[in-house]
Amino acid sequence: MSHYEAPIREPLVLGDKSYHDITEDIAKPIEGKANKNWYMAFYISLAAMLWGFGCIFYTVGTGIGVWGLSKNIGWAWDITNFVWWVGIGHAGTLISAVLLLFRQKWRMAINRSAEAMTIFAVFQAGLFPIIHMGRPWNGYWVLPIPNQFGSLWVNFNSPLLWDVFAISTYLSVSLVFWWTGLLPDFAMIRDRAVKPFQKKIYALLSFGWSGRAKDWQRFEEVSLVLAGLATPLVLSVHTIVSMDFATSINPGWHSTIFPPYFVAGAIFSGFAMVQTLLGIMRKVTNMEEYITRLHVEYMNIVIILTGGIVAVAYATEFFIAWYTGSPYENYTYLSVGAATGPYAWAFYSLLFFNILTPQLLWFKKIRRSFIWSFIISIFINIGMWFERFDIIAIVLSKGHLPSTWWRFEPTFVDVGIFIGTIGFFFVLFLLYARTFPVIAQAEVKTILKSSGEFYKKRREQGIPTKPAIKVAKKEGKSDKKDKE
Amino acid sequence: MASNKKYWKSVEELKDSSIVETLSKNEFVEEIPTDQFLGDKETLENSSTSRRDFLKYVGFTTAAASLAACEGPVRKSIPYVVKPNDVIPGVADWYATSMADGYDFANVLVKTREGRPIQIMPNKEANGTTSARVQAAVLSLYDEKLRLKNPTKAGAEISWADADKEIGVKLNELKEANKVVVLLTGTMASPSTDKIVEEFIAANPNVKHVIYDAVSESGAADAFKAMYGKRALPNYHLDKAKTIVSFGADFLGDFHGGFEKSYINGRKPETGSMSYHVQFESNMSLTGANADKRVVVKPSDQVFALLNLYNAITGSAVASKSTPVDADVKKMATELKKSGSKGVVLTGLNDKNAQLVALAINKALNSEIIDTVNTLNIRQGNDAEVAQFVSDMKAGKIAGLISYNVDPVYSLSNASDFSDGLKKLELSVALSTENNATVNASNFALPTPHFLESWGDTQFDEVTYGLMQPTIQPLFNTRQVQDTLLKWSGNATKYYDYLKSFASANVLNGSSWNTALHNGFFTKEVVENTDFVFDTLEVISDVAAKLSSSANKASGFELNLYTKTGLGDGKQANNPWLQEFPDPITRASWDNYLTMSMADARELGFANPVKDNGAIDGDYAKVTVNGVSVTVPVMIQPGQAKGSVGLALGFGKTFGLKEEMQVGVNAYPLYKGGNNIQYGVTIEKVSGTHQFACTQVQKTIAGRHDILKVASLKEYKTVDPKDHKNGWNKPAYVSYDHNEVEANTIDLWDEHNREVGHHFNLSIDLTSCTGCGACVVACHAENNVPVVGKKEVRVGRDMHWLRIDRYYSSEVETREEAKELGLSRGKMYEALETEAENPEVTFQPMMCQHCNHAPCETVCPVAATSHGRQGQNQMAYNRCVGTRYCANNCPYRVRRFNWFNYANNNEFDFNMNNEYGKMVLNPDVVVRSRGVMEKCSMCIQMTQATILKAKKEGRAVNTDEFETACSSACTTGAMVFGDINNEKDQVASLVEDKRAYGVLDYLQTKPNVIYQVKVKNTNEA
Repeated sequence: MSHYEAPIREPLVLGDKSYHDITEDIAKPIEGKANKNWYMAFYISLAAMLWGFGCIFYTVGTGIGVWGLSKNIGWAWDITNFVWWVGIGHAGTLISAVLLLFRQKWRMAINRSAEAMTIFAVFQAGLFPIIHMGRPWNGYWVLPIPNQFGSLWVNFNSPLLWDVFAISTYLSVSLVFWWTGLLPDFAMIRDRAVKPFQKKIYALLSFGWSGRAKDWQRFEEVSLVLAGLATPLVLSVHTIVSMDFATSINPGWHSTIFPPYFVAGAIFSGFAMVQTLLGIMRKVTNMEEYITRLHVEYMNIVIILTGGIVAVAYATEFFIAWYTGSPYENYTYLSVGAATGPYAWAFYSLLFFNILTPQLLWFKKIRRSFIWSFIISIFINIGMWFERFDIIAIVLSKGHLPSTWWRFEPTFVDVGIFIGTIGFFFVLFLLYARTFPVIAQAEVKTILKSSGEFYKKRREQGIPTKPAIKVAKKEGKSDKKDKE
Repeated sequence: MASNKKYWKSVEELKDSSIVETLSKNEFVEEIPTDQFLGDKETLENSSTSRRDFLKYVGFTTAAASLAACEGPVRKSIPYVVKPNDVIPGVADWYATSMADGYDFANVLVKTREGRPIQIMPNKEANGTTSARVQAAVLSLYDEKLRLKNPTKAGAEISWADADKEIGVKLNELKEANKVVVLLTGTMASPSTDKIVEEFIAANPNVKHVIYDAVSESGAADAFKAMYGKRALPNYHLDKAKTIVSFGADFLGDFHGGFEKSYINGRKPETGSMSYHVQFESNMSLTGANADKRVVVKPSDQVFALLNLYNAITGSAVASKSTPVDADVKKMATELKKSGSKGVVLTGLNDKNAQLVALAINKALNSEIIDTVNTLNIRQGNDAEVAQFVSDMKAGKIAGLISYNVDPVYSLSNASDFSDGLKKLELSVALSTENNATVNASNFALPTPHFLESWGDTQFDEVTYGLMQPTIQPLFNTRQVQDTLLKWSGNATKYYDYLKSFASANVLNGSSWNTALHNGFFTKEVVENTDFVFDTLEVISDVAAKLSSSANKASGFELNLYTKTGLGDGKQANNPWLQEFPDPITRASWDNYLTMSMADARELGFANPVKDNGAIDGDYAKVTVNGVSVTVPVMIQPGQAKGSVGLALGFGKTFGLKEEMQVGVNAYPLYKGGNNIQYGVTIEKVSGTHQFACTQVQKTIAGRHDILKVASLKEYKTVDPKDHKNGWNKPAYVSYDHNEVEANTIDLWDEHNREVGHHFNLSIDLTSCTGCGACVVACHAENNVPVVGKKEVRVGRDMHWLRIDRYYSSEVETREEAKELGLSRGKMYEALETEAENPEVTFQPMMCQHCNHAPCETVCPVAATSHGRQGQNQMAYNRCVGTRYCANNCPYRVRRFNWFNYANNNEFDFNMNNEYGKMVLNPDVVVRSRGVMEKCSMCIQMTQATILKAKKEGRAVNTDEFETACSSACTTGAMVFGDINNEKDQVASLVEDKRAYGVLDYLQTKPNVIYQVKVKNTNEA
């Protein structure tokens, strides 16, 4: 099965791994007991989530007035958080779909978690358009469903409606894609499970995967088709999210550069979030040998590329705001007006976190350092949040009529809901890390022989690539599976 | 339990008639076998309900009960049993009446629905005008918190008969002992009431009538009396004026009741000439904001400037002093002389001598503008008499007090003297509509009806005799003051009959009472009064000497007390509409404050920082005048004269007011001797931060001059408005295919078809708009706009559908100027954003522009806002889910979101949270719930009603018949509403006018609200 890989390429799987070792490693977090760190992280996340839910109930029960919005600033943290989470959700599909089509084998170690992150992030993102409504109980009116309100129909001109379609399509395709990939891995867990209840659950989740050649053939085909379907979504979702702004007439929003710039920004922030999550996960679930320096470096390269695109977009925006010569463009979020106005701190935060910080990645040492990558990824996450905050709050704070210039200050509810979604996200992710195979082991196994350190070394030394010692030890037990 | 009660259904049964017995026996042919079932224990035990059945029953009943509970609460309404002839449900009745509450006087029309007055509009036939306060007075009618509901004696309820008896006995006693009883009223301007008072005094010779106006214009009245022999205020026909010079007279505000209509009538650029108006003042007043030229000068210098002007015009040399503004004074003297009889000088100093000098100048000019014949009766208060009365009372020389609708305990500068005196009285009776500190301190409190519940007559000027009629049954157990006085004079006539015969005998001259009542007014003829007692040349030097000696004493800061457009003298302080009404100049609501010049603020260390939530904070200052101190927040006011400060009267009222309304600081203690100028003021910064609630924070236009276009009269007359370089109404240009083209030549959208039916447009003339804000309150009343309170206004959540933006000019007005000055970009923005020390002021009413290509319409995901066939941008509240995208995409930011439930919510305890306050709601307009967007509808309920009315009458809609609340409330005619498909409508020609432009026309939103370029007479006289 395995393809040829140049010996000078770095291995993607470290250590003397056999197929069975992979199985064991991946199944360990699911089958074993959670450690103290997991519980601590889980309870903190749960507390944050419950606090956030409390804030949401308070908002829905009392009115949007509990947020810091005003007559002149109709959106702030709500849509900032929405776009931020959607952007984070971008990396998953890019990694699993686009990299699949480009046959990038390194994606295999990270695609599962990246996709999980996508889905959980889209959950968080999806919350905001609903709760930011004045009357969320009527939120279903944005769906084009037949109804008894006369012949009322949705407004297909509205970018918010496009959002509804874009996000729901994205979520469903991502979910299907993710789940398809999970089927052989769920089956693996099912087969190993000893508790009947657990077995039953994983049997259900694996949709009766039998491991026949036909299954594998269909699996490959479906993956390819879904990858083809998902690839345009990588571009479309954030393009459409950007149209919330680009199709409006606010100076600073009304900008044709927004779609490509938002897509690049989304990938930028998505990869940063993958870095953050995997940086933690590889430690917590002992996946150091699967998520290697090489993975980190590759991701950093994507970050520096997309970060570069974003930086160019910023520069363009700044230039255009000046070049128009229009007094209405004086105070866009990237302009002299913003740099000297009350939101200068947000303006400079954006530049610092999003333009300056990623430049460190030009240094190979930093690019290949786990801890540096982790820190930089967090900075980028913050920076990308500021980007959306700047776009929304700074632009709305300086509208067309100077009489409507205002400022925004969040209330504890604004903050609480944001923290709550972070909590919710981590609750989902932590539960996922304990119940789902966090690495696509079936796929990783396909590259073990071509890109595994053990085999690479053997090949270099001209030794037959059979891990004699280890296999001999466990041969009797799971011989069948390891032979694919 | 056994009972021996006997139940019966009819008298026959009670009397044991046999028929009943037989009938009752035959009621059921077969008796229902209840005994059989319940009596037989065995059957009962056998019919046991199984657990299953029991659960079923419980389940069913619970489900049924909860389903039944799902139904909305039922609110019962009682239909008319006998429908009054003139009340048709759903159709408004209009009554002509007059308002006279002692400070605000107006001939008005009152709209009633189902017997409830819900709106006040000017009676234009009677030349009536309405201010924000007059508009809002309808809400004060329903003030269940403050209005007196029953007569009380020492706080305990008492019947009218008992009160009459007890007071009558006491009055008799006092009469016999010949002890002085004072009848203290405000200005009533009512001839019949004056007669009743006369008769009352005739019956009780020991009674003395003292007229007390909380905010006094006694000086002007005294001066007029000295000169013309009659205690009244002169009238000014500013429409005929060529040159108007005002020394602090806020004649677009409360000076002599306001002259905005005649002022604006003299300022129509299309006639080719406009009056030239120069305002010398210390506070930035509404009048100064509208002036062609505003000269900043502190009050003491105003006195000398006035004297210098007198000298320059008459050539005499009365004692004076040079002032920093002498050059302007000299120029104005020339202008005035040139204008001759078309010139006029006014002064707002409440000082007899200053007023005399102004009258003398007008006399010297032989001014036709000042009208000394058709005088005004609306400020009759006499400061000297009031002062005498208070000191007499304190000295115990007065035995009784009957007060009517005045609150001296709140509004006298020496209120403690009054309170002390009050305690010494043998009889104190307060007749009042509303509860206040004086009523509380009086022994008897007798409720009088609101003017909307009253009969009466008015005489604001000599020509117009107005009538007042009730528009609703009295809400509470009230009796009119006239009835009370008639009764106490021993006259059994009802006031209504008295009024009718009085009017017929003295005024109507044989014409019909019903017609006069229907019209609300009757025009009398005036007989010219030729009495002229004052000899200008002889005594003026004396007057001038007195005047300059008082001004010479000026030291320290000079305080100019003024009244705000919103609250006036503070009578309606419990009116949430007026509290929420943003001041036209500072745009602050729910507050008064010390206005201070930028220079002084810098020196004393005061600042108005903008907080992160967009709101403005202020520091506190301790202001001391004549030993009286108050602590007030400071608002830095561009255009305030250095060395002077301003403070508004009418705030800081606390007694009986809702807690939310107890805002601001009472400035009356500083209002010594009714003098609006106080010298020798010390100001000291004290600790603490005040939170202001301003609806606008940015003060300048920031170089965006296509929002607000201003031209000088000369430019207007000589320059082509569309001229590419110098044009004063240039169309917007945009780039298209790399060519600069007029914005309106290209379009992304198809035009709406407007061939059929009406197409509404609203034209707003920025030249005519004085910024008075009557439209803001009219809109409030018409459209059930909620009041949100100070806290919410502070964070930018006022709900006004119609607001009046106020812009100050900056020292650097355009980017080009900034470039010439070599400013860097950051400095350029700062320069454009910072207001000038003495700025020009422009007002711009702003409401939904009803764009034909509305940005809000395309972005709503549920199509809750869409375009109407008549040009309106419509808002379907029911459909709105509240994404607020429309508000974000509205370049005018006129959409208002319901952040909370504002009705029936104790957090917002204003008029929509109590049964009385809700009576003011317009039944034609829905009260919005939380979570939905709302905005100006162009009063679609009014336009539809007009269309239906025409349809019912089988005719086309008349020319100029369409109106909105704002356009009909507009005193100066700045707002003109109509149908542009009817080319005879005034608005149809206005949209074609060369002054017409759309705000932000480069966006091509194609608004249906059209603005007319403001023309100022700046470069010629």
